[in-house]
Amino acid sequence: MQRIWVVVLSVWAMLAIVAVLAWSSHSPAPLPAASSQTVVVKGPGGKQRVVVLKAPAHATTATSAMARP
Amino acid sequence: MNGLFRTEWRAVGTTCAATVTAASNGEVDAHAALAAAREEVTACEQELSRFDRASDLSRLNAADGGWTPVGRRLFEVLRLALRAREDTGGRFDPTVLPALAAAGYDRSFELLEERQPRQVEGWRAGAVIELDEQQGRARLEPGAAVDLGGIGKGYAAGRALDAMRATSPRLVGGLVDLGGDIAVFGDSPEGGPWLIAVADPRRSGETLAALNLHDGGIATSGRDARRFGPGRSLHHLIDPETGEPALAGPLTVTVVALDAAAAEVNATTLAIAGLGEAEEHVAARPSISALYVPQAGPAVPIGRLPVAAPRLVVRAA
Repeated sequence: MQRIWVVVLSVWAMLAIVAVLAWSSHSPAPLPAASSQTVVVKGPGGKQRVVVLKAPAHATTATSAMARP
Repeated sequence: MNGLFRTEWRAVGTTCAATVTAASNGEVDAHAALAAAREEVTACEQELSRFDRASDLSRLNAADGGWTPVGRRLFEVLRLALRAREDTGGRFDPTVLPALAAAGYDRSFELLEERQPRQVEGWRAGAVIELDEQQGRARLEPGAAVDLGGIGKGYAAGRALDAMRATSPRLVGGLVDLGGDIAVFGDSPEGGPWLIAVADPRRSGETLAALNLHDGGIATSGRDARRFGPGRSLHHLIDPETGEPALAGPLTVTVVALDAAAAEVNATTLAIAGLGEAEEHVAARPSISALYVPQAGPAVPIGRLPVAAPRLVVRAA
């Protein structure tokens, strides 16, 4: 049990460091992943699973390309 | 419950698609709307294409300063292009065709041959275009020629969308996509806004962002496609100031605007602008926003870009 807590705390600490580094660099705000969809599925006994699905876009904008054959 | 109806075809030198959201019992309406969109795009191409010798635009370009009767679509798009030239201080200019042809883009893209570009002697942007609304005719100053490449597809997408709505007023939503110049209205088939992906110009087949749009237009312009000339070193974005393919500007830029024609005009304008100039341009026009992809480095959202947030769906098992 203690090991699990150590792992959890380490991950959180690493995330915090990454967040501080990201905040301090003035790069443009990252864009959310294109057309991703998060689905939280509740399993038997109330256990939750998080599934990330790709939601297809209705159209794509790009520099006008040649007609597809 | 709503359904999705879609058609895809080739026109205006690219792949076109129209999609509608209609009630489940609205199949007849949906198909009528899709047919109307295709007809309108065909009609626009017949008037606006510079590669069709019989088009109204080709006749106008060949008139060498004479008055030419033109259809209402060409008349309207010329008026919009003139307004855009004024609004952008000449950074958007529909009369760059002589420079574009001199650079080598003098026929439909698939027919281009590799040859050395030449310069236009005594290049001067901003050629005079006169419009006579009463008689439905137009005139260019002698030697001038018009290319609607920076506005025509956006305009046609908007017209096709209007045609769908006029034909089938009960539609819940619609989308017209002419090779990446996109016009939308209403709800998507899933409900809520339409989800438009922005292609990543550096990674083929990948998307850079997803944008939400209920009503309006989206267009992308850039130097990542339609390259030609020796070693494909040239692109089609002419800087009106120099009359040559622009040196400054992003790899691509995507613009969201109130309609597709405005989106395409602004994308064409920003495609030859540095980042600072692009930010100033958008700041002065609250109705547009942009995603600027520089030639190196990360993409920069400018203005209130309607980036789609990942949707959270909670389902009980």
